[in-house]
Amino acid sequence: MNNKSKLSQLLALVFAFALLATACGSSSDGEGDTATTGDDTAQADDSSDAADDADDAEDDVELTQGDDLLEQIQARGELNCGVSTVSIGFAVADSNGIYQGFDSDFCRATAAAILGDQDALNIVPLTAAERFTAVQTGEVDVLHRNTTWTQSRDSDVGMDFGPTTYFDGQQLMARVGDGFSSNSTVADIDGAVVCTNAGTTTEKNIAEAADLLGIEITLNTFEDFDIVTQNFIDGGCDIITTDGSGLVGRKAEQQPADQEWAIFPGAPISKEPLGPTYGQNQSRFADAVNWTVFAMLIADEYGVNQSNVDDFVGADGELGRLLGGDGEVQSAMGLAPDAFYQVIKQVGNYSDLWARHLAPLGLQLEGSVNDLWTNGGLMYPPPAR
Amino acid sequence: MVMGTERLDEATAELLANVAAEDAKRPDEPSLPFGEWVKKNLFSSIPNAFLTVFFSLLTLFAYRQILNFVFSEERRWEGVRVNLRGLFTFSYPASQYHRIWITLGIVLVLSGMSMGLMKSIGRGFSIKRISMWFYSVGLSLVVGILLREPSVLKDADGLARWSFPDGSPIARSETGLLLIRDDEGVSLLAEGESPLLLRESFGSAMSDRGWWWIIAVFALGIGSALWFGFGDMKRRTTFIPAIPLTFGFLGLFISSVWWYQWGHYGRDDAGILISEPDRLVASTTRIPWTILWFVLVLAYVAGRALVRTERAGLTRVLIGFSALLTPFVTYFVILRDPDLDWAHVWSTDIPMALAFMVGGGLIMWILTNPAIGERGRLIATALMGIAVFNWVAAFFGWYAMLQKARISFLLLALAALAAHNFAGDARQRLRSVWGWMGAMVIVHYLATMINTAETVAAPDQFAGGFVVTIYIAVFTMIFSFPLGVILALGRTSRMPLFRVMSTIYIEVVRGIPFITILFFFAVFVEFFLPEGMDLAALASAGIAFTLFSAAYLAENIRGGLQAVRQGQYEASDALGLTTVQRTGFIILPQALRVSIPPLVGAVIATFKETSLLSIVGLTDFLRVANSNIPGQTEFLGVKREGLLFICLIYWIGSYSMSKYSQRLEKQLGVGER
Repeated sequence: MNNKSKLSQLLALVFAFALLATACGSSSDGEGDTATTGDDTAQADDSSDAADDADDAEDDVELTQGDDLLEQIQARGELNCGVSTVSIGFAVADSNGIYQGFDSDFCRATAAAILGDQDALNIVPLTAAERFTAVQTGEVDVLHRNTTWTQSRDSDVGMDFGPTTYFDGQQLMARVGDGFSSNSTVADIDGAVVCTNAGTTTEKNIAEAADLLGIEITLNTFEDFDIVTQNFIDGGCDIITTDGSGLVGRKAEQQPADQEWAIFPGAPISKEPLGPTYGQNQSRFADAVNWTVFAMLIADEYGVNQSNVDDFVGADGELGRLLGGDGEVQSAMGLAPDAFYQVIKQVGNYSDLWARHLAPLGLQLEGSVNDLWTNGGLMYPPPAR
Repeated sequence: MVMGTERLDEATAELLANVAAEDAKRPDEPSLPFGEWVKKNLFSSIPNAFLTVFFSLLTLFAYRQILNFVFSEERRWEGVRVNLRGLFTFSYPASQYHRIWITLGIVLVLSGMSMGLMKSIGRGFSIKRISMWFYSVGLSLVVGILLREPSVLKDADGLARWSFPDGSPIARSETGLLLIRDDEGVSLLAEGESPLLLRESFGSAMSDRGWWWIIAVFALGIGSALWFGFGDMKRRTTFIPAIPLTFGFLGLFISSVWWYQWGHYGRDDAGILISEPDRLVASTTRIPWTILWFVLVLAYVAGRALVRTERAGLTRVLIGFSALLTPFVTYFVILRDPDLDWAHVWSTDIPMALAFMVGGGLIMWILTNPAIGERGRLIATALMGIAVFNWVAAFFGWYAMLQKARISFLLLALAALAAHNFAGDARQRLRSVWGWMGAMVIVHYLATMINTAETVAAPDQFAGGFVVTIYIAVFTMIFSFPLGVILALGRTSRMPLFRVMSTIYIEVVRGIPFITILFFFAVFVEFFLPEGMDLAALASAGIAFTLFSAAYLAENIRGGLQAVRQGQYEASDALGLTTVQRTGFIILPQALRVSIPPLVGAVIATFKETSLLSIVGLTDFLRVANSNIPGQTEFLGVKREGLLFICLIYWIGSYSMSKYSQRLEKQLGVGER
């Protein structure tokens, strides 16, 4: 009898305890995250798993998807921006591990426009395979990651593309000693050993181009473009091919003293428009990203750069409005009136970025397709009014 | 059982003492004159002489090529020097570096203490041996100085000078093309002709290497001083303890930062490459390194002071326990710097921890009552039912509950199931209650810290460099070892279910290439997780490493288990030990002792295999050297230097582990029984 009552006491204690723990859990769940719908406790509530923890920020985004992304970012106080893990001149971690480059500076410019601070930014290095998933899951808000704007990506993959920030295209590089020059054409490479990195569209493009011209080439692919270049230097490859921006950088830095290299043909064999990429149906956020790029181009048109932008504050007309003067449109976009002033002041205009990251690689802005339309290039920003 | 271990340790110490005494008694090997030794060992027969000559030439050739590679004018070692910070910590913010130093300090205190607490620290190195070291360093330097090809001649712009194959000099045009300018005008290299680099003469090369000569002579001098200065043969067998010698060498190395400028390159705030004395990486780290050296030495001295006292055993246990906790505390608390939401802590975390401590403690108190009998198991089973139900409910989303509560509840149920093993008098029962409370404090403390938003980007985001290598290696070692033991026991178990399951697991994992498992975890694992749950890349890689390594460890340990003689099982059965007691106190200690060499081998393998992380997209040590440095605009294509550097670091890590395992084997007398 005595034993039995002890047992029931115990069981009562256990259940009371279980209830207490459960109550604790649910009460804090409620106060923890108002955005949760409560259907997914594994994700929303506390978890002592190391891995989950790292994704707290991502969870927030996911839970509130459907809301306005621009407002979310402003509430969060941080822009998540995806860049390449390593892309020479576009996004490379410097010796302190901070990403520097043309693309990462566009990330900074976007953060400066949306949040007023170029450092309110979380740069996420992504591999080519991860990039679109990262946007779809909300891990990053925008990609500035050497992403070519293509029909299938725009429709099937579910991405939207902003204005092209860099018009790239596949070119070839050969040794002058082998009789090539910058005026050579693809037809001249008949019988050559052509090398490129494996599993990319460059491989397909050159094969298609050779087929089209009816010439025979030997195509060798390597895992890594460093290895491709090394083979080219050592003579294992006659021709190497990849995007023009990559070739120029390689030529500038790796051409040995006893060789001279030439890049051709003048008109690339493929079109690679690279620009910001974001998820579909977030027009307010898309506007902010797009107009950050446009503002940097318009500032370039007026010759307004990082060092002299303060002289132009309060100017009349388009430029004045863009920098936050009377009649500015930024407020209607959900941005601060001086958003684009901050972009130019903190990060710079388009040619500032070019001078900082691409000119040292030997890429010329003047006369290239990436120059402003006024100089014969393709950069044609819409008017700001 | 504590008594037993003590006695075992004493026996080991005695055995070692005996071995040392025997060593001393053993007559010295008659030392042959140099000429005779060479004749006997290297040129004893014609084939032997041929092999000696052939391999000496091969070694010299390899040595020369390595030196030419390292000292070539084409090498840009500043690519490594500038990127030292990136290689080791990648993007961990420099303003938060004190956290890394604190972490390192904790690790050093623990290792210094445990080194100091070792019963026997070995005989160390004989003066004879040390003198041989100096001789070999000096000789390799002399050979190196003579072998390496003379330096390239440079023009006024610092560019290498070239010549035609016939020796006439080539000038450089602006485009980089090599041309000759003579009276007739400009001519190019003929087809198939390759230019030669102009090098300085042998004589001037030797005089340019004056400093190297001085160092070589210095090393040879010290070697001779040690060899001849202590004239008699006896002194040559005088021993210098290994640990103080290592500390001394480390100290010398660290102090060198104060009088020699190691890294000549750094970046100023604007990111421009400079070489000013006050901006060197070496100079910004010399104060922490010096402090850390003193910390290590002091910890060792403290350990030595404690070793002969009564507290040594307890201290050893505490240090072992702290060493287990250290990775978690340093990673989640120190490196991440959690930003605690104090309102939440006071309203939820602390009350919940208290509730589990008190409630669980009560349950443990009741369940450890020897009189409770079968009802105890019933209650424990009921608790387990609730605990499991909580997880099922979480999966289907029936009711909300804090994950921490769910885990604590599961732990409580597990403790309750095991409670009858700890039944006893009031003192013993109280001990298990305290044990439960202590476990809860640790679990809840860590869970709270882990769960809180961090203020410093944790390795999941900065994910780079040597930190990731170490993180994954330590993570794998901590988790794969217990898992491996369980799998090995399961595979040798008499219960068919466990045996079959363990065997299937081990054979499946061992039958799949590791890189495939890594990709599987990087790509597929999200399909196995509950909806919306996501694993960080680093965590999933860590789990993949753990699961893979555990299968191999299990086989190593199984080998050890099979080496334990049947008589040990029978004897422990005859003593009336339970299975748990037999396994824990008789079988496993013997099995693990035998498995030490393969276990350390597995640890070293894991340490090196972390380089596979670079393939699944994580920025590990290899990736920084292999793609990041060559990607930087200033160091485009500078890849070989970084790869050689990380080879050196990997080698230092692996070799010191292997040395440590050899020591451990000697201490435990593996292979000598």
